[in-house]
Amino acid sequence: MESSFRRGAREGMRDFLPLSVGLVPWAMVTGIAMRSIGMSPLEAMGMNLLVYAGTAQLGTLPLIGSGATLWLIFLTAMVLNLRFVIFSATLAPVFHDHRFMRRLASSYLLVDGMFAVGADKLQRSDDPHWRWGYYIVPSVYCWLLWQLCGIVGVFGAAVIPQDWSLEFMTTIALTVMMIPMLRERPMWVAALVGGLGAVLLRELPLRLGLIAGIALGIAAGFVAERALSGRASR
Amino acid sequence: MSEAVMSEGLWLWLTLLAIGSTTIMTRGSFILAGEKGRLPPALQRALRYAPAAALSALVMPDLLLDGAGFDPFNPKLAAGLVVIVVATRWRNPWLPFILGMGVLLVLRKGAGW
Repeated sequence: MESSFRRGAREGMRDFLPLSVGLVPWAMVTGIAMRSIGMSPLEAMGMNLLVYAGTAQLGTLPLIGSGATLWLIFLTAMVLNLRFVIFSATLAPVFHDHRFMRRLASSYLLVDGMFAVGADKLQRSDDPHWRWGYYIVPSVYCWLLWQLCGIVGVFGAAVIPQDWSLEFMTTIALTVMMIPMLRERPMWVAALVGGLGAVLLRELPLRLGLIAGIALGIAAGFVAERALSGRASR
Repeated sequence: MSEAVMSEGLWLWLTLLAIGSTTIMTRGSFILAGEKGRLPPALQRALRYAPAAALSALVMPDLLLDGAGFDPFNPKLAAGLVVIVVATRWRNPWLPFILGMGVLLVLRKGAGW
């Protein structure tokens, strides 16, 4: 008889596989983008291993490239990764009966796609072996896919002419990531205020305008949500 | 290898470690704690806006500013608008990159903007 780990793994792969195809261009673009700011292939592959978070990688590249201070880069990465705090809180009960090393591995491997596809089933299953198989096998597959396609981008970047403004791929990637978030009106407000805030406050020293813009955007989104829901309930 | 290049390399690795630490800190925040912690609902709702605000704060200055000042007719903004339209209409993940880079290169090299 098939173990519940294997049954979980098979179902997890079936759910995650279609989505994972969309990761291929992202991994390649991230690989190219890291090379476009002058990182060596080794440094680029190191970033893929150490960070393993596309949004935080792409978002910090312009800052690394322009020689921004470490704390600004750190804060920006933190903000771009903040959504994982919500994911982590949601999935914590799913892993609470596992050993520390397994919880560490599940944390490092936690990506948007797997959360979107599996959070619901993971929370409903009461078999820890099934849950572990369902989560860890697609997550490791996703990690391998990201690393391998990243390497293709890292070395593929060398054949693209130097004067093709490849760093703009980063801006394209960040724009494309933002679009699906803008389904609700408060999200629009957050994005608009965050972006315009960063533009208008750009003269602030130490590029503080970026962090100030983000903070204003979060606050504006939150206020807009309250204002809109207040109006709707009246 | 010169000293400057060495320290630049070391500095970059430190930066990468710092960025990587945010991955573990955020993804592991509740999973590593192991107990059934809960996020205050108001904080949870506010955090939802962080990615959109941050992505926009990174993208808009690059699209709207050419050099130092605001320029509504710059190739990056034109390419960015194409990317927005393409990504809204079609789900193909390659298309925004191909068309966005295409528009930028045509305007920069062909039209000499």
